[in-house]
Amino acid sequence: MRIFSVSHKTAFVVDHCPYMAESSRQLIECDMLTKSRSQGVIPLAPVSKSLWTCAIECSMEYCRILYDVYPTKKLVNYIVSDSEVHILNSWKQENQNTQELMTALAAVGPPNPRQDPECCSVLHGLVAAVESLCKITEYQHESRTTLMDTADRVANRGRIICLTNAKSDTHVRMLEDCVLETIQEQNKRAAGSDRLMPIQQCELVLVHIYPQGEETLVSDRQKKELSSVLSSEVHSVRAGRYLAGKLNVLVQQHFDLASTTITNIPMKEEQHANTSANYDVELLPHTATVLNPFSHETVTLKWCTPRTNSVELHYCTGAYRISPVDVNSRPSSCLTNFLLNGRSVLLEQPRKSGSKVISHMLSSHGGEIFLHVLNSTRSTLEDPPSISEGCGGRVTDYRITDFGEFMRENRLTPFPESMVDAACRTPVERAKFQLERHTRYWPMIISQTTIFNMQAVVPLANLIVKDTLTDEDVLTCQKTVYNLVDMERKSDPLPISTAGSRGKGPKRDEQYRIMWNELETLVKAHVGTSERHQRVLDCISACRSKPPEEEERKKRGRKREDKEDKTEKNGKDTEEKGWTTDSERLKGVMEREKDEQSECEIIKDSPDSPEPLNKKPRLATEEQQPPEKSKGPVSLLTLWTNRITQANSRKHQEFAGRLSSVNSKAELYQHLKEENGCVDLIFYLIVQLYFCMDENSFWDLLSPI
Amino acid sequence: MPTAVLLDSSLSMTRPVSVEGSEEFQRKNLAVHGLTMLFEHMATNYRLEFTSLVSFSSLWEVLVPFTRDYNTLQEALNNLEDYDKTCLEAALQGVSNIVQQEWGTSCPCQVVLVTDGALGIGRGSLRHSLQTVKQRVEDKKFPLPFPFPSKLYVMCIANAEELQATDSMDNLEQLINLNGGEGQIYTMEGPLCLKSVQSMFGKLIDQAYSPFHAVLRCGNLTSDVQVFPRPEPVTIDEEVDPMPRTVQTDLEIVGFIEIGDISSPPVLSRHLVLPIAVNKEGDEIGTGATDDTEEETSTNQMAGKSPNFCVLLHGSLKVEGMVALVQLGPDWFGMLYSQADSKKKSNLMMSLFEPGSEPLPWLGRISQLGPASDAAENPYGEDDSKSPFPIQPKHKRSYAQNVTVWIKASGLQTDVQKILRNARKLPEKTQTFYKELNRLRKAALAFGFWELLKSMAELLERECTLLSDSAHPDAAFQLSHAAQQLKLASSGDSKYAAYEHNITPMLTDFSGGGGADRI
Repeated sequence: MRIFSVSHKTAFVVDHCPYMAESSRQLIECDMLTKSRSQGVIPLAPVSKSLWTCAIECSMEYCRILYDVYPTKKLVNYIVSDSEVHILNSWKQENQNTQELMTALAAVGPPNPRQDPECCSVLHGLVAAVESLCKITEYQHESRTTLMDTADRVANRGRIICLTNAKSDTHVRMLEDCVLETIQEQNKRAAGSDRLMPIQQCELVLVHIYPQGEETLVSDRQKKELSSVLSSEVHSVRAGRYLAGKLNVLVQQHFDLASTTITNIPMKEEQHANTSANYDVELLPHTATVLNPFSHETVTLKWCTPRTNSVELHYCTGAYRISPVDVNSRPSSCLTNFLLNGRSVLLEQPRKSGSKVISHMLSSHGGEIFLHVLNSTRSTLEDPPSISEGCGGRVTDYRITDFGEFMRENRLTPFPESMVDAACRTPVERAKFQLERHTRYWPMIISQTTIFNMQAVVPLANLIVKDTLTDEDVLTCQKTVYNLVDMERKSDPLPISTAGSRGKGPKRDEQYRIMWNELETLVKAHVGTSERHQRVLDCISACRSKPPEEEERKKRGRKREDKEDKTEKNGKDTEEKGWTTDSERLKGVMEREKDEQSECEIIKDSPDSPEPLNKKPRLATEEQQPPEKSKGPVSLLTLWTNRITQANSRKHQEFAGRLSSVNSKAELYQHLKEENGCVDLIFYLIVQLYFCMDENSFWDLLSPI
Repeated sequence: MPTAVLLDSSLSMTRPVSVEGSEEFQRKNLAVHGLTMLFEHMATNYRLEFTSLVSFSSLWEVLVPFTRDYNTLQEALNNLEDYDKTCLEAALQGVSNIVQQEWGTSCPCQVVLVTDGALGIGRGSLRHSLQTVKQRVEDKKFPLPFPFPSKLYVMCIANAEELQATDSMDNLEQLINLNGGEGQIYTMEGPLCLKSVQSMFGKLIDQAYSPFHAVLRCGNLTSDVQVFPRPEPVTIDEEVDPMPRTVQTDLEIVGFIEIGDISSPPVLSRHLVLPIAVNKEGDEIGTGATDDTEEETSTNQMAGKSPNFCVLLHGSLKVEGMVALVQLGPDWFGMLYSQADSKKKSNLMMSLFEPGSEPLPWLGRISQLGPASDAAENPYGEDDSKSPFPIQPKHKRSYAQNVTVWIKASGLQTDVQKILRNARKLPEKTQTFYKELNRLRKAALAFGFWELLKSMAELLERECTLLSDSAHPDAAFQLSHAAQQLKLASSGDSKYAAYEHNITPMLTDFSGGGGADRI
């Protein structure tokens, strides 16, 4: 398919000279008296259309079909010619509709029989048509602009359909010569202009219209090349239905349409509401909809019941707009209304063998009717291995429902053309960005997650993925966290998967630790989005549970093992999910540690920093108790201490001094009491760190400082 | 994309090739060796491909109908018989027939012709066929171009020099040209031996049977996949954009749409999206021929047990009745959906839309589709009762807007009768009467059909005289008013003949709200 083929531009030139006012002599009886009323009334004389009226209504029918099947990119320029030229529209897409043309035609009116025939000619129109074909269309312009260096790939071709009443074959020859000459002239002019393009190929279709009952003075002639640019054909047709038939054939040829008849359409009879008769409707879709595009006979497709429903996804190899041949006939409008009301119908192609094959579907989308071509032959994809046999096919606890919810949240919707956001992203880029945000932490299976199995986490999980949070959103997130703290205090059970682990699974406090860790992972993935996201993380860090010391000590050994298991398991998970690689994870740990240290530098500068020993490194359980009750502001130091305490407690063997302490208080670093100051604080921290980890990692950690 | 292998079994294929080594080979052996290699490759990396084996001489015969059973194909290769002379045209016609019978004319197909390049003599030879190609009658047309989209690969068990010495090469090139240039000729380089036949078939495999691997992405969720059959390059407008477009190996999901909204869209092709396990070095499991099979099975089992995004996506698409819109390249999109083959087996499928910014008119421009949550008001409604699709076009189509067409006399008569029917029911039908009258008036003005306006006016005047005594007095007023207005319009006087002007009902004592008081 080429967009800039001859059919991209069609110039209609209709003769408006006095002789076109002549009657077509096709009489139409419009006084159809009903029998009961007809007595004693003399019927009115039948009316007859002029040649002009015949030409206009047939050309309008041509345009109607064209615009139905090709609402864009196939353009018509309508020109009327008498003593001057009337150009009724332009190549602009917005001018391409029959209403606009009808309005303009009404303004022109029928030819004036009293006008001087000497100064009237269709030649003016033909010259204007050639000039018009040189004018660039918006599509040509757009294409040329996009192609830049290769703009010469954009071709300029077109067709002139001239409806006239010629005097003789010589007259026809004169019209052809005139078009040829004008093309040569205009092409020279166009070569030097930006808004004009030389015509590379032009098809002239001359239609000579003569009244019924007369002999034609012009002979038919098949398409003939008059030059490398211009070809011409002559059709000599009687006005009335012959002309209509001719233009119908032409529109099919020019735009590759194939007459297709839908047969056996059951329709209710007006008189007998409970019976139905079968009707046929002829449509014009693109030739690609039929098997044999070279046959000139109409293709027959049979109406099929039962109908199809809209939630079925058919394998469809093409969909083409249609136009009914007889748009206002009762069967046609019955069928089109049926389809426009949103129903679809399957069609079958009669086969020689008599077997039924469903091959097409008629369906409307947004008020336009399409003929869908369905694949009716054997599929090369038949009998594929089921998805359950492939990778990941043996896993049974995918979060199918949650991902369904995720898909609903990420449904697409059209936005107006002008709609770009502050970052100049198109809507589709925003859609991708949203998917990225929503999947930063998204475990695929139920046993991989705790928080997404908890109703209580939903408000936070829904909000944290948003690009911007309001203060109210932050509050909701905080409430979620407090709620979790409350649950922990009440020792509510958590939906932790016991799959794979022997026995009852982890203890309650361990469960909560896993839950808090996961929640932190989720929120950390979004912490860079905004300061408000950070506040949510701060809230979690401040509120999350820390294992009580006594317990800690007792279970030290076991926990360490668990911990190692856990890290290993997590490590495996992350690899599988592709979140991070091992090295990245290590780097992350290092960076976190560094962060913690830089935080302590901030504290150093803060005049509000309390003295280190006033905050005890290990708080008694009671003192630490219910965080939800201490909703007041928490200092950064508290946050930090809490976090590092907790982190450390998991990393190291208990400090010997503390083990031998009384009431969890050991007399250590006594000198710090006397010497106030930040340097000491750092020193204190470093020393503490030293005790937290083995020697090598301690020095590794310190080396960047 | 099914493959039809067309193997030359004429006597000339039994010509021995001189090899320095111990064993003596026939050209046929080399052909079988090459095809064995091709079938082995397909069995491992392209096993969903349907392949048929046809042998030909002066006659042709389907040795194996289209199948995925590569053992059967291999077996047939091992039991070849030798026949008489080469007659390619009949064989090509045969292939054309079996492909159409099996797959119709829309399914793209690859034809692999394996021959020694001795293309026959006299009648039935390719030379003779090509000489007479333009003098055929309708039902004896040369089989090329094939009526289905196709690629014709000619594998010559001969080297280029040998073929150029006769007119064989020219004839084969002409053959490809007849197929619209779709295809390629492969010849052997160097001496005719197992090694050079391997290298020739290796090139064919690279060209036509390399599996398409890609990464399917939805934000941070990813899966390595094989897309089968591999998507072929597409050219939409050979003039403006002659460079064929290829599907990129990064398939990025941009969002989701309901099946009802996407509404059986037309697609260029359909493909299975199969998740594959890729080990850390980036090698696909199973490609290495040296792999221990037991080890392989265990890795496959492992892969089956570790969660895969494709499976999750497939499950949710199926349950929700949705499709995922996926970007295939710049300005090129497709959709992912669950496709059930039978009741038990279902799969993740990908269909490719036509490249371009607006492949489906009812979705509008794809670049303008954004997340529904960005809209001021939920376009799907709070209870999922609405949908932003389909997009309505700017102008209604003719069948949706009550156009006037008088090409057939019946069209005109119906419109006139409609007005008269309403005229007889005045004043109840005043609104419809004027609506229909104005429709006729507008069309008559546009068509320059003033004579009709005059006749219609006369008809209305006569209706007026035919009114019964019991008729409402308003009817007479409206009829003569309408008739007069039509007559004025038929004068062409711009004051009355303006297209946009509408004849409005006459305000009488009997019409309008105040009427009742005055009676």
